[in-house]
Amino acid sequence: MRILSKEDFADFVNALIKDDAWDVIGVKAKGDKFAFGPLESAGELRLDYDVTLLPPKKYFFPQRETLFTYNLAGGFSAKNPAEAKPTVILGVHPYDIIALFHMDEIFRETKSDPYYFDKRKSSIIIGVNIQKMSKWNFSPFMGCATVDYGYDLMLTDLGNRYAISVGSQKGGELLSKYAKNVTEALARDIQLVGQKKREIVNMSQQKFDFSPELIPELLKKTYEESDFWERHSEKCLACGSCVLVCPTCYCFDVKDDPDLSLNQGERIRTWDGCLLEDFAKVASGENFRATRPTRYRHRYFKKGKYLFDRFGFISCVGCGRCSSNCLPDIANPVNLFNDMYREHAHNGVQVAVAESPKVSIQTEGNIDYVPNLATIIKKEQMTTNEMFLEIKLDDGSDLGHKPGQFVEVSVFGVGEAPISLSSPPTKRGSFEICVRKLGNVTTKLHMLKVGDRVGIRGPFGNGFDLDFLKGKNLLFVAGGLGIAPLRSLFNYVLDNRKDFGHVSLLYGCKEPRELLFKDEMVALQSRPDVEFKSAVNWCPDGEAWTGSIGVITTLIPQVSFDPDNIYAIICGPPVMYKYVIGDLKARKVPDDHIIVSLERRMKCGVGKCGHCQINEIYVCKDGPVFNYSKIKGVPEAL
Amino acid sequence: MKPKVAFFDFAGCEGDQLQVANLEEELLALLGQVEVVSFREVMKEQSDDYDIAFVEGSCTRLQDEERLKQIRSNAKIVVAIGSCATIGGINSLRNYKDLDQVRKTVYGEQAKLFDTYAARPIDAVVKVDAYVHGCPINQKEFLQVVKSLLMGKRPDIPTYPVCVECKKNENVCAFERGEFCVGPVTRAGCDSCCVNEGTVCWGCRGLVDNPNENSQKEILIKYGLTVDDAIGKFKMYFGWQEAKR
Ligand SMILES: Cc1cc2nc3c(=O)[nH]c(=O)nc-3n(C[C@H](O)[C@H](O)[C@H](O)COP(=O)(O)OP(=O)(O)OC[C@H]3O[C@@H](n4cnc5c(N)ncnc54)[C@H](O)[C@@H]3O)c2cc1C
Ligand code: SF4
Ligand code: SF4
Ligand code: SF4
Ligand code: SF4
Ligand code: SF4
Ligand code: FES
Repeated sequence: MRILSKEDFADFVNALIKDDAWDVIGVKAKGDKFAFGPLESAGELRLDYDVTLLPPKKYFFPQRETLFTYNLAGGFSAKNPAEAKPTVILGVHPYDIIALFHMDEIFRETKSDPYYFDKRKSSIIIGVNIQKMSKWNFSPFMGCATVDYGYDLMLTDLGNRYAISVGSQKGGELLSKYAKNVTEALARDIQLVGQKKREIVNMSQQKFDFSPELIPELLKKTYEESDFWERHSEKCLACGSCVLVCPTCYCFDVKDDPDLSLNQGERIRTWDGCLLEDFAKVASGENFRATRPTRYRHRYFKKGKYLFDRFGFISCVGCGRCSSNCLPDIANPVNLFNDMYREHAHNGVQVAVAESPKVSIQTEGNIDYVPNLATIIKKEQMTTNEMFLEIKLDDGSDLGHKPGQFVEVSVFGVGEAPISLSSPPTKRGSFEICVRKLGNVTTKLHMLKVGDRVGIRGPFGNGFDLDFLKGKNLLFVAGGLGIAPLRSLFNYVLDNRKDFGHVSLLYGCKEPRELLFKDEMVALQSRPDVEFKSAVNWCPDGEAWTGSIGVITTLIPQVSFDPDNIYAIICGPPVMYKYVIGDLKARKVPDDHIIVSLERRMKCGVGKCGHCQINEIYVCKDGPVFNYSKIKGVPEAL
Repeated sequence: MKPKVAFFDFAGCEGDQLQVANLEEELLALLGQVEVVSFREVMKEQSDDYDIAFVEGSCTRLQDEERLKQIRSNAKIVVAIGSCATIGGINSLRNYKDLDQVRKTVYGEQAKLFDTYAARPIDAVVKVDAYVHGCPINQKEFLQVVKSLLMGKRPDIPTYPVCVECKKNENVCAFERGEFCVGPVTRAGCDSCCVNEGTVCWGCRGLVDNPNENSQKEILIKYGLTVDDAIGKFKMYFGWQEAKR
């Protein structure tokens, strides 16, 4: 531990500011509040602050961030944003340091986010121990009031001097390069710092009535209590303040922003939040978290349960920002959890500490947000609203996908949309998709011509487990556009017919003119080695239809099978699953013989943006293909 | 061929057309993409041949309806600009008063000659394809909407309230400064510009689709407004929308 007088510390800060090699950021006054901002002199620095309006995460994961710029003139080119400038961030409180550690884990899981880590790696964190604690702060209860890691330097105010703990080599070097008259701390000062840290732990004006270790289990027991969530969220404005100010919230939206030439522009990401009304709404109009209580509940679960299960920590550091920013005062985790605990205790419910999950975070390379260029080589209108597109990657490579996976398709200037791969991997050199016109990207895709360029990212998602399905009897159940992803597997099965047992396809849509892949369906009828049944909800007068009339479930009694020896593979509109699964179960098909492919709103496709979540599951990464036995207990799934 | 664009005004102050006229540099870039055939703020000529009609101001008389319907049938795309046109705007403040009384105050003795009715947004009369909210409109958003229309894309108008932008801009909340704000129920898209400037949100962009009005009123009262003043806060811009809810 080192010691620096306050005068020398001011010189140190000013020396840093003077050196153009660094952007120097520090805590400054903003009205009666405080905010991190660029420092012009050491005099502006307010290390006696209680809490900043926004956490320092804005320097690593900014409110609005360019993922790449594109230019369509003269072909296409994409440029990544400039490299991050080395930055010193001065005055970070311990809870915000721990929050950054949470963000690190989130942004590096599975695939690492280069934008975040570029900035993280080129920055130096100079922490400061809390001198004043905001009245909403409960970081001591979360074990986040003090910290021994995650900083390059850590300051403790000792009156006329700062005690400085050096947390990294970078920090030590900074100190020796820019600070004068640094001395080694004496035992007395080291003791004093220890005493200060013990005092900090007693500074909170908030009070948990129980050990926050119980939170994950407590939440689990409260999930279904809709009355509890309704009562607590009644005043929610869906304003998102509680998530936007949170140092551990990381959800984002992705958009294209063309300039006035319309030929160039940028793809950006901006902060988003699960409390906002449309967060889980998809283009067809379905909103998977349409009500205030469900969105309100999701936030607490995300912090206290889902991330705990995934990473082993409760993703709340107790900064109290959510509490102080919620105007109706319903976002304070302490109040909510105390209420929850009290109600359970009142009802005699015992809550145990959750077992720590086994966590091993794997990182495989970086996320690439810049799409690969591809060209439309075939286009065919299938119905009024559905277009078939065959696409070839411009570098000539195969996509190398598994059936059931999807790609993110870009129309530059308009945006990106997740679309299932409809062709089997056995088809080489190009791939096929089927697009329903619903919103911006999908409408634009309909308007493109053969020879036009699109962007492709992926393949993403898990896809079907081909090795497992080999040799099995398969029952495909497709509703409407659900045929698109199933076709990639179905055609793979046809291409390798001898590797599979009995194969049936049940396909339903609204009316005959909405039938997709009509030629292929007609051809199926004369194939002896597949059983094909189709149904339409209704058939207008004068249209030819030889299949059944009715919803898709009318087809299920038409096929016979041995339930223990069949695997059902289902994809269709959200309402369909419940009924089809119900009928299959009535026919004694075991749960783990039912496989579904699900749709959710998606932005990143790689498990980061939070949009596709169903409870703790990320559909883009853990799905979209799920074994029913694994998700039947997941309330938001079906 | 460049799309032809025309501007029209109804009951309003023409502040929004001024915002467009004041775009300067961007206006030049924009003119590269469209042909303006009618725009009283900047030109004399007028034409009935246009693809996109930007309509400012609210409908306040039966006679307005006819003209509006004519515009609708001439144009492929109708865009409401400014809160008078998108939500009825400040004009609908008078909907709370007895209309006869309003007529007398505004027109004095001649009141009988003018038949005004409750001020309403233009989508109460014709189908509107896109909205540029605000009083006055925000130039950046206007350009955003124009770009989207030119690209055949549905303009991206937030469904969340102003607080979202306000938080991203790291403002000190009006309520923490002892002031009163209707940002929590007002549709975002202005980048919380008024709060950025140190004032409050008055709600000029209208209510979000599902505002929690009770909660907002309770907050206004909790922070010190009287019940009447809290209701008054809602009257300034939300008149037409509230009456419809
Ligand atoms: C795994 C998966 C596979 C899909 N496969 C197909 C397919 O094969 N064919 C097809 O036509 N459609 C498919 N969809 C649905 C398709 O992604 C949406 O219809 C599309 O995103 C709508 O985008 P838009 O820009 O046209 O609509 P807008 O309403 O303008 O949407 C704006 C943005 O919201 C998001 N969004 C909206 N709806 C959805 C949605 N349903 N799913 C995910 N994100 C959404 C997207 O990021 C989109 O860019 C699939 C969705 C998922 C999740
Ligand atoms: S809980 Fe509070 S801060 Fe969060 S969205 Fe609801 S009203 Fe806004
Ligand atoms: S949930 Fe609230 S208290 Fe916890 S870290 Fe986020 S903003 Fe801070
Ligand atoms: S919306 Fe505002 S600026 Fe526009 S016409 Fe009405 S009063 Fe004037
Ligand atoms: S100032 Fe208004 S818009 Fe901003 S956060 Fe406060 S209430 Fe919301
Ligand atoms: S902050 Fe409120 S009053 Fe100001 S422009 Fe935005 S919506 Fe209108
Ligand atoms: S987390 Fe972004 S789409 Fe799944």
